Amino acid sequence: MATTILAAGITIEGELTSDDELEIAGTVRGKITCKDALTVASGAVVEAEISAHKVALAGSVTGNVVAEDRVDLQAGGRLVGDVRAARLTIADGASFKGNVDMDV
Amino acid sequence: MNTTVIAAGTWVRGSIQGDGDLTVAGRVDGEIEVAGDVTLEGTALVKGNVSGARLVVRGAVAGDLSGSTAVVLEDGARVVGDVRAPSLGVGDGALVRGRVETSDAVGSRPASKATSRAPERPAPAARPAPAARPAPPPPRPAPRVEAPKPVAAKAAPPPAPASPPKPPPPVVPAMKRGAKVGLKKKAAG
Repeated sequence: MATTILAAGITIEGELTSDDELEIAGTVRGKITCKDALTVASGAVVEAEISAHKVALAGSVTGNVVAEDRVDLQAGGRLVGDVRAARLTIADGASFKGNVDMDV
Repeated sequence: MNTTVIAAGTWVRGSIQGDGDLTVAGRVDGEIEVAGDVTLEGTALVKGNVSGARLVVRGAVAGDLSGSTAVVLEDGARVVGDVRAPSLGVGDGALVRGRVETSDAVGSRPASKATSRAPERPAPAARPAPAARPAPPPPRPAPRVEAPKPVAAKAAPPPAPASPPKPPPPVVPAMKRGAKVGLKKKAAG
């Protein structure tokens, strides 16, 4: 499959660009651009500007998130940063601090 | 799921480091330094040094490869850079341009961390000649022996340590050079 997986224990510092799905369980510092679905798994630490088609967050994210389609902040997920997306869900048990910008 | 996969459509600009295995089918511009095994697939394009336990390369790399266990270059591998590992395999169809060194694990490990040059054991068969180098110096004694200036005597000694058997007859051209250099140095100092 063409899914890029960043396993726990791995750290990327810099820019990560993907045309396909991206799964992050490790650490990323920098910038993430994904033209497909981005999944930040539980235990992952992301300190980056995120731009993706679709984002699911169950880990810790610090940085602004821009999604063309949607952002799902799942239980256990933590997000500090602004969100701009067409749709946003925040599950019970998730923590979030930041502004939301949706097309109204 | 301990293997990290950089898929074909993915481009990393920056460093990748940590534990676990890594498979790259995409593009990486930066250092790769993992504790586990690294596989660079045929579509991989890596610009940067790669270090890991066992490296299997089928793609393109512009950078040094350092494997603490082994480096295996398979068909399709294109490597421009030095390769170092205790065990090395180069398959038919693999291309390499750079220094290749199979060294003991003991010697290579501390070295592999930084850009190392310390434990050099250059291809023994390639150049056993270095012993011959010290000999050449003597053939210069120009037949014109004149002007025995004291300065010349000072200038002459430097080449001497290599070949002691010629103290008195200073070479005229060498003298001039030496004198000039001496003057310059004095002037500079």
